[in-house]
Amino acid sequence: MKKFIVLLILCCASSQVWPEEATLQNIKVDTDLPAIERGMDDLMNNCHACHSLKYISYLDLLKLGIDKKKVDFMRGDQPLAAPLTGMLSDEAAMQMFGLVPPDLSLMTKAREGGPSYVYSYLLGYYNTPDGVTHNRIFPATKMPDPLGISTATDPAKREELKKTAHDIVSFLAWASDPHSAERHRLGYYVIGYLLFLTALLYAVKNRIWAGLKKH
Amino acid sequence: MKNRVIGWIDQRFPLSSFVKHDLTEYPTPRNLSYWWNFGFLAGFVLVLQVATGIFLAMHYRADASLSFDSVQHIMRDVNYGWLLRFMHATGASAFFMVIYIHMARTLYYGSYRAPRELMWWTGQGLLLMLMATAFMGYLLPWGQMSYWGATVITNLFKVTPYFGDQIVTWLRGDYSVSDATLTRFFSLHYLLPFLIIGGVVVHLVALHTVKSSNPSGIDLAARDNIPFHPYFTSKDLFGLGIFLIVYCIFVFFFPNMLMDPANFIPANPMQTPAEIVPEWYFLPFYAILRSVPNMVGGVVAMGLSVMMFAFMPFLDRSRIPGGASNRPMVKLGFYLFIINMLVLGYVGAHPVSERTLLIGHIATIFYFGSFFLIPFISKAEERWLIKRGLSPELKELMEREAREKTQSQARRRSGDTK
Repeated sequence: MKKFIVLLILCCASSQVWPEEATLQNIKVDTDLPAIERGMDDLMNNCHACHSLKYISYLDLLKLGIDKKKVDFMRGDQPLAAPLTGMLSDEAAMQMFGLVPPDLSLMTKAREGGPSYVYSYLLGYYNTPDGVTHNRIFPATKMPDPLGISTATDPAKREELKKTAHDIVSFLAWASDPHSAERHRLGYYVIGYLLFLTALLYAVKNRIWAGLKKH
Repeated sequence: MKNRVIGWIDQRFPLSSFVKHDLTEYPTPRNLSYWWNFGFLAGFVLVLQVATGIFLAMHYRADASLSFDSVQHIMRDVNYGWLLRFMHATGASAFFMVIYIHMARTLYYGSYRAPRELMWWTGQGLLLMLMATAFMGYLLPWGQMSYWGATVITNLFKVTPYFGDQIVTWLRGDYSVSDATLTRFFSLHYLLPFLIIGGVVVHLVALHTVKSSNPSGIDLAARDNIPFHPYFTSKDLFGLGIFLIVYCIFVFFFPNMLMDPANFIPANPMQTPAEIVPEWYFLPFYAILRSVPNMVGGVVAMGLSVMMFAFMPFLDRSRIPGGASNRPMVKLGFYLFIINMLVLGYVGAHPVSERTLLIGHIATIFYFGSFFLIPFISKAEERWLIKRGLSPELKELMEREAREKTQSQARRRSGDTK
């Protein structure tokens, strides 16, 4: 048993290669609908102009619980099954940034640190004394500071931006794994059932073996 | 009616005698601990992987331009596709965990020793096939780590004398990992599990000839054996329950834990990920590969490191029966070996630095050293244990075993085949 635990710890620990460039601010994403919806709105305003979410369709937003009128307004004359493609063409993006902005559907899974990485990155912009904007998490980034954290000096404004970033990341976390809430819900039932079944199997096993011990 | 049907079948197929021989009257040592559950669990995970894999294959596209999207299609649009996929991906790790524990048990209790060498070697063959299946399966999501992992590993075949480059091209079906590689890996990933099932049948036929070993390391007398059914069917099912709880905690609550972030980025032949890391179950062997400075040497060392286990029946020279429970040096060596494996796993998971390189060198030397020293240690241990005096319990067991051996030899000489 001891060995098993040690091996288990190893297999958990070994797959994590800790990001070494900069320390991340560790956050826990929100999973409630209001936060995810706020995040969606903020993403539509701040990110969607350049970034696509090609694995998310307007239908997925409906299924998530977003109001039908709002979804209809967002999609315009696009069909419900249409994905949330970016508004910037690849050619225009290449001209402006020299690369195509990455799709955001899986962004919170595709970086070491997950949601904490994206959150820290969004808030990682700062201005050097000579007026150049840098990002402490991803120095080579081509993305201009989307939320304006580098120029925000008012503490209340900074707090507000932090909340915005947190909501955006919550929405992205949902988008990367839309079934995670369903998975957790189902998981409790499955584990509960298995605990019950295993207890029964243990009783059966003991009952069968009890006859043997008398000999 | 039931008896008539069974009678009808029995005249044409050995159904009743099979059930009797291999289940209801199959003699199993009564002192087996829960460490003996893992063979059954391995069989269960194999069935689970085949079952989930068949359904995944109905929705998956083996095409370099569609694979990544088709996995997301499974995760998002297919009914309970996320469950199938997480079960399959977690199942791969579960398979290796179960197999490694199964092997560790065999090493600890000396179950590989006579007359079970063929079990050990068929198991070794099954391990190689499992590794090949897992490696090829990992290419299928067509993420960055899939692509670059396959590139690095197929590239190792370059060290083949004379035909190195040709062999690499032949394996990939192209000059680099590409669509041709993906389609053949998919085909073979679907084929190999069925070869594994065939191998498992051979493994089980051998088992039912030599019967299970047991913690004492001695073949027990008939009175210490109990029928497999219902005693071990009930025990195995209880163990299965425990396994499923652990497995489902991973499937439902931590399915992404063992997935590399880089594999959520589609394969890009133009961009190497910062660090190419294999799945956890290959890390110790990967560490050995990287610990040898020369590429040919590294590949040979890595191949040998997996194959070393096959030599165990020859390396262990002791006449003291069994494994760690009777032999303190085996026990000590076993734990040191496990710790060394964990160290190698740590080295394999981290980028090459002066520190990991040094630890890797030491752990690699220790890895092979522990195998090469076994003949000498096992002999010295035997002398030491006999000099110290064997426990009366062990002596009695050994004497009984010797007695039974002479009796069965006498029976054989007199022509009684039973």
